[in-house]
Amino acid sequence: MAPKPPTDDELDTVIRARLALLGIDLDQLPPGTAPDPETGAPGRDTALASLRSFLRTTVLPLAAYRFGPDPSLAQQTAPPLLYPSITSAWTR
Amino acid sequence: MSEPQRVDRRAFLARTAALGAGAALPAIASATPVSATTAPPDVEPRSRDLTEVTIAEAATLIRRGRLDPADLLAAYRERIDEFDGVYQAFNHVAAPQKPKRGVLHGIPLAIKDNYFTADLPTTANSFLFQGFTPPYDATAVARLRAAGAVIVGKTQMGPLATTRATTPDGRITTVNAWAPSRQEVDPGGSSTGTATAVAGRMAAGGTGTQTGGSITAPSNAQNLTGLKPTMGRVSLHGIVPLSYTRDHPGPLARDAMDAALLLSTMAGEDPADPRTQGLPRVPDLVTAATPVRGRLRWPTRIGILPGYTADPFRSSFVDTLADIRGATIVEVPFPAEWDLLTGGAFNNVRLPERSEPFLPQLATDLRGFGVSVLGWLQGALLGANEFLIGQRAKMLLLQRVLTDTFTRCDVVVQTGPVPFDILGLPELALPIGFTAEGLPVGTILGGQPFAEDRLLSVAAAYQSVTDWHHHRPPDPTTTVSARTAPRRLTAEEAAETMQ
Repeated sequence: MAPKPPTDDELDTVIRARLALLGIDLDQLPPGTAPDPETGAPGRDTALASLRSFLRTTVLPLAAYRFGPDPSLAQQTAPPLLYPSITSAWTR
Repeated sequence: MSEPQRVDRRAFLARTAALGAGAALPAIASATPVSATTAPPDVEPRSRDLTEVTIAEAATLIRRGRLDPADLLAAYRERIDEFDGVYQAFNHVAAPQKPKRGVLHGIPLAIKDNYFTADLPTTANSFLFQGFTPPYDATAVARLRAAGAVIVGKTQMGPLATTRATTPDGRITTVNAWAPSRQEVDPGGSSTGTATAVAGRMAAGGTGTQTGGSITAPSNAQNLTGLKPTMGRVSLHGIVPLSYTRDHPGPLARDAMDAALLLSTMAGEDPADPRTQGLPRVPDLVTAATPVRGRLRWPTRIGILPGYTADPFRSSFVDTLADIRGATIVEVPFPAEWDLLTGGAFNNVRLPERSEPFLPQLATDLRGFGVSVLGWLQGALLGANEFLIGQRAKMLLLQRVLTDTFTRCDVVVQTGPVPFDILGLPELALPIGFTAEGLPVGTILGGQPFAEDRLLSVAAAYQSVTDWHHHRPPDPTTTVSARTAPRRLTAEEAAETMQ
């Protein structure tokens, strides 16, 4: 059974926790929705709304993608390569 | 023959299949010189205005002793003094330098402000790099200087190479040279300043970087010929990173020959950048960009994607190509899952590449990212599984492009820059007409890995039978004080339009 989609509050917790693990405190941004007048950086509520949308529209499609109908065989296709065009030269 | 079809598709697929079974990457070939010697062409100028002549024309005059490089530089600086207040193409204008002798002896170039320059600030147009003067030149800059080019200045860009050029806090700066009084006319980004500098005749040519269309878009918007080379063709050493696997340095120029001259100089193996090593030799791009009377230099199948010719400019472009001897127009399908694998989510897997190198600044100076901060936060949120899915999808997509597209054609039109940016394949942007209100229209051709020569040969043939690329915008009549207050992008707009 597919898990229940995360709520906004749950995503906000994920976002803040994940950023904190990387050493990033979202509270560096100004509170609310008004951008920082000096730098144009968004308010933290604006940032959270944008990041929630980003996670829903990016992680879900990526996680749902399948490299083939048979998971055991799909593992054998398309190894991850950072530089595919360069690899095309290196593998000639 | 050009080095046509230099990718052995079957061998590539076989090797990558082996990789999938757990084999190691092949050893990188030993370092060998890869830049072809470029013999500069002799090209008679079409204009007496020094800022109208192309790089090839100016170089010819200088070589023959008919033009003093100091006079050429002075002519460009005069235009900068007169018009850059309106165009706002430059972040920094350089003091005159004494050029070295070489293929580009005395050619004034505009350098995007994310290329390191040891004698000029490099800001990437960000609060984070204010006051930063690098200890060395980017490899591409060093090569241009060694070939005799002089830097007229560092150009405005989208903050950290994201959007069209704005101040780091989002206020629109650089305008399209074809509509200097209308800030709403997109000048293309993020190599906006270079494009406006070249189109506005404040530099003979220049450099840009492309991660999601930032050479091809400003070239198309401002009637230039821009060349985004294959990943690895030009060293990224000394360029502020936006996305390691997708940043491509390349030239913005007035025609295919100028693009060839610049790329020939910039390209080649660099000990400081492993991505440039063990790659096919840089072909003779200047010969490739030299038109052959009445025909294409090499017989070339030009692939047309579904729906491309629904646009009348593109349709006319294809008709013109079809009339050039040696061109064969072929319809090619979109590879399977094209929209999905090149669209939003799969395009977004580039974002961790921009947050990781900036983790120290994200921890201490989040506001310093200004209006562009959301892209960096998005990157920080993506996990390794999503990133790996994206890297696998790139492999799959390349296999499909090699199989479904490049078995049918040698060059393929593009309906947008992102797919070949994802794959690291070369793209050439060129002018193909003007709208009723006089704004440039351009298009993009895509090529096989390391086949920049083929793209240049097609562009040169097209430009030998058309004159769109000879058109220049009129000088601005707007004054700085008459400009309306610059519109300010929001952080959400910056995130939506970032490359």
